[in-house]
Amino acid sequence: MRARRLHEVLPHGGEPGKVILEVDNIHLSFAGVKAVDGVSFSVHTNELFAIIGPNGAGKTSIFNCVSGFYHPQRGAVRYEGRELLGMRPDRIADLGIARTFQNIELFPQMTVLDNLMLGRHKHLKYGTLAALVRAGRASREEARNREVVEGLVEFLGLQPVRKSYVAMLPYGLQKRVELGRALAMAPRLLMLDEPVAGMNLEETEDMARFINDIRWELGIGIILVEHEMRMVMDLADTVLAVDFGRPIAVGTPAEIQNNPDVIRAYLGEEHGTAPAGGGAE
Amino acid sequence: MTTLADAPAPAATTPAVTAASRLRQVARERPTDAALRVKNRGIWREISWAEYWDQVETFGHALLAMGIRPRDRVAIHSENRPEWLFTDVGTLSVRAVCMGLYPTNPTAEVRYLLQNSGSRLLVVEDQEQADKVLDIPADELPELERIVYIEQRGIDRYQDPRLVSWDDFIEEGRAHRRAHPGAVEERMAAAQTDDLAYLIYTSGTTGPPKGSMLTVGNCDFSGSILASGEGLINPPPGPDDFVLSYLPLCHVYEKAIAVWLPLWTGAVVNFGESLETLMTDIRDIQPTVFQGVPRIWERIHAGIQVKLASASWLKKVNAAVWLSVARWLGRTLVRTGGRHTPLSAVAYWLGNLFLYRALKERVGLRRCRFGVSAAAPIAPEILEYFMSLGVPLYEAYGMTENAAIATTNRPGRVRVGTVGEPYPQIEVKIDEQTGEILTRHPGSFVGYWEMPEATARTLDAEGWLHTGDVGEWVDGTHIRIVDRIKDIIITSGGKNISPSEIENSLKTSPFVKEAIVIGDRRKYLTALIGIEFDVVSEWAQRHKIGHTTYRDLSEKPEVVKLIQKVVDETNAKFASVEQIKKFTLLPKELDHETGELTATQKVKRSEIEKRFGNLIEAMYR
Repeated sequence: MRARRLHEVLPHGGEPGKVILEVDNIHLSFAGVKAVDGVSFSVHTNELFAIIGPNGAGKTSIFNCVSGFYHPQRGAVRYEGRELLGMRPDRIADLGIARTFQNIELFPQMTVLDNLMLGRHKHLKYGTLAALVRAGRASREEARNREVVEGLVEFLGLQPVRKSYVAMLPYGLQKRVELGRALAMAPRLLMLDEPVAGMNLEETEDMARFINDIRWELGIGIILVEHEMRMVMDLADTVLAVDFGRPIAVGTPAEIQNNPDVIRAYLGEEHGTAPAGGGAE
Repeated sequence: MTTLADAPAPAATTPAVTAASRLRQVARERPTDAALRVKNRGIWREISWAEYWDQVETFGHALLAMGIRPRDRVAIHSENRPEWLFTDVGTLSVRAVCMGLYPTNPTAEVRYLLQNSGSRLLVVEDQEQADKVLDIPADELPELERIVYIEQRGIDRYQDPRLVSWDDFIEEGRAHRRAHPGAVEERMAAAQTDDLAYLIYTSGTTGPPKGSMLTVGNCDFSGSILASGEGLINPPPGPDDFVLSYLPLCHVYEKAIAVWLPLWTGAVVNFGESLETLMTDIRDIQPTVFQGVPRIWERIHAGIQVKLASASWLKKVNAAVWLSVARWLGRTLVRTGGRHTPLSAVAYWLGNLFLYRALKERVGLRRCRFGVSAAAPIAPEILEYFMSLGVPLYEAYGMTENAAIATTNRPGRVRVGTVGEPYPQIEVKIDEQTGEILTRHPGSFVGYWEMPEATARTLDAEGWLHTGDVGEWVDGTHIRIVDRIKDIIITSGGKNISPSEIENSLKTSPFVKEAIVIGDRRKYLTALIGIEFDVVSEWAQRHKIGHTTYRDLSEKPEVVKLIQKVVDETNAKFASVEQIKKFTLLPKELDHETGELTATQKVKRSEIEKRFGNLIEAMYR
């Protein structure tokens, strides 16, 4: 009775290397403050794409432009060839884009299972009447979706807390539940906003392992916004560095680590590798 | 007595009874009945006896395919799960030797155990265990040819040529079976009672682990005794019995209850979801035979206390009434050895109706007809508590070296504070000079793997096994364990003191997880005490004491005061030389990985005294 791997529970991302998301020169400003200033990039299936940058550099704003929470004034966001700009967030989610939030957005008064089952909402295919009598199709559908959710419980090691209320769980576990809910939606593009913020070392390592396994077993596109530099450099295929809403560089982790602009803007301050007095000013 | 020359060669007669032949037997008698149950993705799933045998035979074929010979060693490093049993019995089916590692064994110990045993094959559960063996340079493990991994996640990216997935390995077995049908059964037919079956490494609170060699005959002896019920389980265990496997399967105790007993009786083995879900799993399964170590019984006991503390007032009143009756029942049963008097029978019947039944149902012991506590001494209070609720809990005693068979308490003849009476057909005596307990029976092991001196120290020329435990007779029938010979404390005043009695008394408090009494060649006794974090944390929250980490909580003056009360209660039970004059709370939880605990969670005294030397010295200043 071995643990199932994710692709036995959820649809696989398909042929690797196919462009799944194209962000084309987007601009977003709030009352004259430029939050995103001409950012372009593309994400492929089976690619872990990381966005890094100092606090307030506009990373989360880019996220919100893709998931439909913000509407950029200019530019285009295409997902599997379809224009996303102007679409409502729930419509975008229906297309197969799932995300987690920097500050956990779960239903604290519901159990872990219920939160995960909610992620299956759009995959439940039965009508109100069937739901009322809870027979035939409705019960079959519930069972089928519960199978998926149990696969995720197993993957994320949530068995001991299956029936616990989310509000009672420690922070690190809540983060895991949130990841589970996003996965339950069976996304083809997964967006993770600072998944290890505020976590201790062990929790961070667990989360890194989960992300790596998701990517390996599902082959979907993943966008990761993260401060934890070691994790980004370990996991990502491609890194986009932004500062003041502007893209500074795109490349492999090695290229980014050696890019002088990035070092000045970001790494230099944290890692102290920039020559003394060599700041951007 | 016949001489060896007169006796017919054993191979010419029927082959020896092995775990594998027992399995084949049950699989023929009841092919479709459930043999194993596994909770998987929230649902209990069944594996029939026929499937169990098929997996074992196929695993055996796979071993033959790689050229495993009789007496070769096969190791497994995994949590409890059906594949553990497939590996164990499959290895025995080809007359090879199975060696289990504790899931908590760190890399250094994995290296020692694989090197010492010279294992040719290692089954690992998942990436975590695979990483440990792959961290060891291959040339340091020249005998290790293959590493079979059960869970694929993460490992299918690895390149090591020794790696093979469980499914692929089983596939090799199927291919071998097609080419050589009956090859495993042929090997089984040649089995001898003196075939080596297991290397069971004893955790060693001192020195490196020693591999105890248990033979096919040892297992048959132990399995048969357990299967007969021996007046303990009436009617004897059978297919209707449910066992939960959760203690480490490489330990002789779990081996006896979760491997031998089911194979010799047809009982069903259940595997829960994980160690963290143990309490839920027990409740799901309601096992009829439940083997625990004192720690587990204490946890169940503490769990009841915590649940009652947060119950509604009506329930609390009901519980208070019937628990006070239970205390009286407990005292009565302790006096009568576990037999009800007419009055206590009525009181128990009522108590059961109003409270005990519900409590037992809640903790999963309602159907339990045989509970055992072994591996370490259990506190009399805990034993009395479960007896009073009608959980038939018996303290028993045995060790790896005698295939877990020595003494046990039995229904109606319980002596609390003893490990019971010797099993009828075995010999037990206490050495008059040293007080050491000696046993002699067909379950005695044949020695330590490649350690002839250690073997000679343990197994004497007359076949007596020297247990290393000091004991004494109680009423000429029951045995009381005093302590390990080497743990006895001799104070500077020359008084012999058994630290474990005092420690166990301290550990009866739900607030205390670990207690280490110190005092060898010292003026007075002191103790290092580790708190039970969850319970103390709950207590602190109720008393509005803010806290963060284990260390922080241990340093709270209120907590120190709380533990002082526990120490005072224990001191009241002992003579003044045996009283603890000072104690210190441990700043961290003890851990196997850091070497403070053995794999079986026993405290390594020498290590503790080294690590916390300054804390100890401070108590003698």
